[in-house]
Amino acid sequence: MKIKLLFAALFFLAQQGMAQEWLVPDDQKNVQNPSEYNLDNVKKGKEIYLRDCKSCHGDPGKNNGLPLVPPPPDFTSDIMQANTDGELFYKITHGRGGMPQFETTISEDDRWRLVNYIRNFNPENEPVLVEEPPKKAKILASVNEEARQVEVFAEYQDKDSNYVVLAETPISIGAKKAFGTLPIGQVLTNEEGRAEYHIPESLIGDEQGMVTLVIDLGEGFITDDVVLDAAKVGQPKPTPKLIQKDVLWSTNENIQVWLLLSYLAAVLGAWGTIGYVVFQIFKISRAGKKQ
Amino acid sequence: MEKTKSPEESRKLLDKITFDLTRSIVKRDELTHFWYFILIMFAGVGLWGWGIQIRDGLGVTGMRDYVSWGMYIANFVFFVAISLIGFLISSSLHLLKIKWSHPISRVAEQVAIAGVALAGIIIVNDMGRPDRFLNVFLHGRFASPIIWDVTVVTTYLTISVLLYYIPLIPDLALIRDRGGDDIPKWKMQVYKILALGWNGNAEQYKLVYHAMRVLMILIIPVGLSIHTVTSWLFAATLRSGWDTTIFGPYFVAGAFVAGAAAVVILMYAYRVRYKLGEYFENLHFDYMGKLLVFVCLVYLYFNINEFWVPAYKMKTAEGIHLRNLFVGSFAPMFWWTQMTGLIIPIFLMLFKFFRKPLPLAIISVFILIASWLKRYIIVIPTLEHPFLPVQNVPEHFKHYSPTSIEIMITIFSFAAALLIITVLAKMFPVITIWEYAEEKGVNKEILSEPKK
Ligand code: HEC
Repeated sequence: MKIKLLFAALFFLAQQGMAQEWLVPDDQKNVQNPSEYNLDNVKKGKEIYLRDCKSCHGDPGKNNGLPLVPPPPDFTSDIMQANTDGELFYKITHGRGGMPQFETTISEDDRWRLVNYIRNFNPENEPVLVEEPPKKAKILASVNEEARQVEVFAEYQDKDSNYVVLAETPISIGAKKAFGTLPIGQVLTNEEGRAEYHIPESLIGDEQGMVTLVIDLGEGFITDDVVLDAAKVGQPKPTPKLIQKDVLWSTNENIQVWLLLSYLAAVLGAWGTIGYVVFQIFKISRAGKKQ
Repeated sequence: MEKTKSPEESRKLLDKITFDLTRSIVKRDELTHFWYFILIMFAGVGLWGWGIQIRDGLGVTGMRDYVSWGMYIANFVFFVAISLIGFLISSSLHLLKIKWSHPISRVAEQVAIAGVALAGIIIVNDMGRPDRFLNVFLHGRFASPIIWDVTVVTTYLTISVLLYYIPLIPDLALIRDRGGDDIPKWKMQVYKILALGWNGNAEQYKLVYHAMRVLMILIIPVGLSIHTVTSWLFAATLRSGWDTTIFGPYFVAGAFVAGAAAVVILMYAYRVRYKLGEYFENLHFDYMGKLLVFVCLVYLYFNINEFWVPAYKMKTAEGIHLRNLFVGSFAPMFWWTQMTGLIIPIFLMLFKFFRKPLPLAIISVFILIASWLKRYIIVIPTLEHPFLPVQNVPEHFKHYSPTSIEIMITIFSFAAALLIITVLAKMFPVITIWEYAEEKGVNKEILSEPKK
């Protein structure tokens, strides 16, 4: 009896103090994952992860998620892996508390691909996507304003610590904006580790059309991003002068003439009349002296 | 007008009227001193608070990024509102040749002057850097309602002062000539100067009538603009609760309610304190009560429009605002103002008993308080609900509550307004003597006779 009570109390405390168990309806638990566990799907899942989940759940295996309560579990953790496929899918779909729902933002197929990505970290599975340890790399880049093009040369450090050209590797080009880097495109390096990227005509720069380009090698390499000096390769940013439009509430320089005239007429009318009345007061005073 | 009386009768009557109506000027007892003491003390404390605010900046108020207009602006609108009664009673009713309102004109003008003067001062109170006040004129935008407001407030103040002063000139001469010996010397000196050598000839009367008439006509558009422009300060924005087309007439109607209540309270105070029962008669209170019912009904009509139309649609932002007023955190204040400021008074004042002096004065006090709260409700709830979400800000940015400094400065404004009214009442008769005497049948010639 006593032991039963103790258990009940413990259970109660556990419920209050720790994260409550996240129950998934029985019929959802054992839904089979319709998408195949293969490299393509896992890769796609990773892309979505980087875009939509990493900000909270952190880097897989590093337990560096956001400090929320309850915390977003690491994707490699036991908590995560203890879920059935159906449970994972359900939780991603509906969310709870700090975990947002993705029912409306990620397609069903992609949600299943996320499940595949999570499974890539399951010790019982043969991982299909193996991340190599990142290599050290160097990028040289310059921008040619006339040709509107970026020239890139990349090398990486091989096993013997020698720098060799980095061939057939995607290089991301971005433009620095107020709130971060705007990705504008990718190029593959050629056999000599070189690449040329044509800046799209439609890229918008600052008021003068200046753009600060950022060159990045992406995952798998350790480099400093190359930030080029601002170059005149974009369209000048249109800066609409709202206050100069033909609006009633404009500045004095752009005031509508009829508005100014009405104002001045009203003021002159009122104060002219006041002046007239004050003049009457003088006349009253003068009329007093007559008799 | 009553039948012209014989010179003998006239002189006797005029003596009595002058005696009664200069009582406020002569009377000086403990209570006078106490009243001055109270007013000056509160005004002084408020000024001290203002000193702190000028030293430390507007951070000492409860106003923050979202609610950037607080009690000061609500108070400003209130004072503009009560000042509007001057234009209704001393101009509109005069021009409509409504006789009963004549003895009340000067009281209404007192309220107008005090109200609009304080409105101007409160705007300066609301400035973080009052030393830059002149910039409003130097760099003002002619397309901005704020400039129109500053313009119209100063214009209205000037007209109100003139409209107070011009009918006062013959009175000043009258007191100068036949005032009792108990009037202090320096006051007599002031009257002499301000009377401008008035001797009551026909030409002077003509000029006075003419100037008054011009002013009465001029004050109509200016009076209407002052509160309409004040309403545009709000209505020219896109914010829910302010973005409405009826704000102009809505404010004007509300102003008449507030001002009429203020006038009734003053009339009652003068009647009791200066024993002017024969001048502010029951009849005047009865009519003022009826006038109040009328303006309250107009205002109620505008209120129904103002709330019913958006409440029918409950557009997103508007809906949040309205819910906040009807059932949310502002509900107690909202329903209090509607009930004690409009609905109950309208109902009560329909009965003759409640239009008697004392009951009417009490009702007016409630109306006046509700009018003040009403302005608070117009200004603050809207600002607490901006269109963009309020996020990542300290808790005290989200809700506004006035700090003690703000309350002190607001009390200062009340004390200062009452001080202006008191000084006016202590300096000058509260009813236009010559006009009143004339209506009672005293000949103009008798008016300008020097004392025997
Ligand atoms: C806004 C932060 C945030 C984002 C973004 C986020 N999560 Fe979560 N996630 C959480 C939190 C917090 C929890 C823990 C919720 C709980 O237990 O109540 C959680 C829990 C989970 C769980 C359940 C783990 C368990 O307890 O069984 C899964 C699965 C999951 N997240 C997957 C994802 C995926 C996939 C994405 C991206 C599509 C994602 N999360 C994006 C915060 C986030």
